[in-house]
Amino acid sequence: MNLERLPNEEKLTLCRKYYFGGFAFLPFLWLVNVVWFFKEAFVEPTYTEQLQIKTYVKRSGLGFLLWVAVLTTWITIFQHFRAEWGEVGDYLSFTIPLGIP
Amino acid sequence: MGLESSKWAIIFLVCWLYKNVSCNSVEQKIYVELNNTVPCVRLLNATHQIGCQSSISGDTGVIHVLESEADLEWPLSKGPNPPYMVLLESSLFTRSIMMKMKNESNRVAGVAVVVPNTSPPEFSPHTTCPNENTGVYSDNYGPNLAHCNTTVWNPRGNGLSYEEFDFPVFSLKEDNETEFIKQCYLDHNRAVNGSAPQYPLCAMQLFSHMHAVTNTPTCMRRNDINFSINPEMVCDPLGDYNVWGSIRPYNDTVFGHKENESVVIAAARLDSRAFFWEVSTGAEGSVSGFVTLLAAAQALREVTHAAPPTRNILFAFFQGETFDYIGSSRMVYDMENGKFVIDLDNIHSVLEIGQVAVHSGTNLFLHSDPVSRRNNTVNDENLVNNLQSSTAGLGFLLVEPNVSQPLPPSSLQRFLRAQPIPGIVLADHESAFNNRYYESFYDNAANLNLTYPSDLSPEEQLEFVTDTAKSLTDVATVVARALYKQAGGDESLVNTIKADPKIVTQMLYGFLVSSNNSWFQAVMAPELKNILKPSPPEYYVGVAMSSTPTRLVQYLLANLTGAATNLTQSQCQKPDELPNESRQVGVPLDLSVCRWIDVQRITMLTLGVGVAVLFTSLLVTYFISTKADVLFSSTREPASAAY
Repeated sequence: MNLERLPNEEKLTLCRKYYFGGFAFLPFLWLVNVVWFFKEAFVEPTYTEQLQIKTYVKRSGLGFLLWVAVLTTWITIFQHFRAEWGEVGDYLSFTIPLGIP
Repeated sequence: MGLESSKWAIIFLVCWLYKNVSCNSVEQKIYVELNNTVPCVRLLNATHQIGCQSSISGDTGVIHVLESEADLEWPLSKGPNPPYMVLLESSLFTRSIMMKMKNESNRVAGVAVVVPNTSPPEFSPHTTCPNENTGVYSDNYGPNLAHCNTTVWNPRGNGLSYEEFDFPVFSLKEDNETEFIKQCYLDHNRAVNGSAPQYPLCAMQLFSHMHAVTNTPTCMRRNDINFSINPEMVCDPLGDYNVWGSIRPYNDTVFGHKENESVVIAAARLDSRAFFWEVSTGAEGSVSGFVTLLAAAQALREVTHAAPPTRNILFAFFQGETFDYIGSSRMVYDMENGKFVIDLDNIHSVLEIGQVAVHSGTNLFLHSDPVSRRNNTVNDENLVNNLQSSTAGLGFLLVEPNVSQPLPPSSLQRFLRAQPIPGIVLADHESAFNNRYYESFYDNAANLNLTYPSDLSPEEQLEFVTDTAKSLTDVATVVARALYKQAGGDESLVNTIKADPKIVTQMLYGFLVSSNNSWFQAVMAPELKNILKPSPPEYYVGVAMSSTPTRLVQYLLANLTGAATNLTQSQCQKPDELPNESRQVGVPLDLSVCRWIDVQRITMLTLGVGVAVLFTSLLVTYFISTKADVLFSSTREPASAAY
């Protein structure tokens, strides 16, 4: 979607909505926020709302990286130890591979 | 006119081409399909998994025909084209070779074993101490007798059936296909003077992917958890029925202890196994025992109708005994919990027929449990005396082995686990088994020296009384007489009890040579005739609800011990008359087998549908976007942007 035709207040509102939306366990919204508003926040010449947008983008980026770290750790642990966890591992799984532990 | 004739010419040409051009599939030029193969499958018990497993899309490897044990170096370390598919002759199918390949299983893609028509001198893939953890001997009961400390029952056992292999192992018959494989190896794969063979090389692909994994509790739990889109079973429990029948019938709806009822149980086992799936013939291991018991049951029919003995005699045929006594443990469980027609306290004594067909002398042996005899909790003397006195005039003796020897692996052990009961196991071996092929695919009619003159037709072979049949008939006579005496029958009638050699030889033919013969066809129910085949039945307990041997023994027991009645067919099929035999469910307690299903088609279909939906949606989006100005209203409002 083209941000050029939007007035600055609307850009800020949009950025803010995506930032707050990401707190509902939606890290992808934060990723979208970062990618979409990156140019607006860091490349465009300064305007009044840019500072706010910059903080939102930075915080979204941080939040997204945190989520990546947590999920990567959990997925690695689960894939490695699922077989050893026996019953717990089976109840946590959606699809259990056939023929291998 | 010209156009029409040319049209006809084209049609004619097309039809002619269609008729004369044949399709050549490229796959047929590359692959030769092997028939007559039997895989080794995966089995689970409460704690472990045994058997073989292949990758999900099969394992491929360069063929190597093993020439000796030293030649194993080539596939395991020296060969330049791993992984290898090793083809073994039966003489090289030994524990040391298989374990070496198991340790280097990243270079071995699979093993194919060529099974010859003549048996090797000895081969037993079972363990040396069968069912050692589920018998009666343990650290609390006869600890010096447990784990075969005194007598090793199966000294030839190499334990291969209970090892776990990461690669598929298949058996091939010695026929044209195997010759083709060996010829291909000699032409292309053989290393000449130490130099590596060049590509193209012959390869083989074996596919036997097993779904089951880890152990039985895990597998049964995963059967119950069915979240995914295609819920599927990953394993099935081994299960079948036991067959039992009694001289005096019981009402099979009244369970539990019966007052003043004293029963003599005569037991035998029905099943057997082999290293490969289902090809078990169990001639000496199980057929000898249950055929003798069926013949004894038939011998007792007349005398028990004319002069019924004081105690009842119950004939029990247990399934699944190979796998930690599935059948007998179920019967004991039912008796302990009041779910069977009698109780453990109703049992007077137990006589079990073990392996009785391969004699190493003239005598047979009576095995008993030394612990309960030493403690004087049971009195086997009567049973021993009755047995020994029954051999009068038959040319062999029944001898008791050394008192300090434990019972061989037998269903009686499960009864003794529950409570002390007098019991004897009749066998042809004094200590170690005489059977050189215990629980292997070589335990067949040849192991019993069951030979027929070559000029007989199948019907004549059915009636021909072989020497094996004669010797088993004598054993059956002894068993029948001893059971009658043990049940308190009339002493003067004992010598009239004789087993019929014709029936024994017909049973041996039907169970070891061809089950599709006229006698079995006459005995079986019409709707079950299709289970009869021109080969012997398989004695693997399996996962089907009722296997061929169970059915055959059930109907034979009814035929040999029942009284013929005058009923029409429709009356006969109603179950409200007094049956002389009935069936008992033998569900295993903790053993399961893997299952493999063809899920390829389902996954391919799902993938195909998904891809089709993707492309359809892309197409629709494209069309909508190109015609957007026609489909949607043309006035644009700059302020409200769509997200």
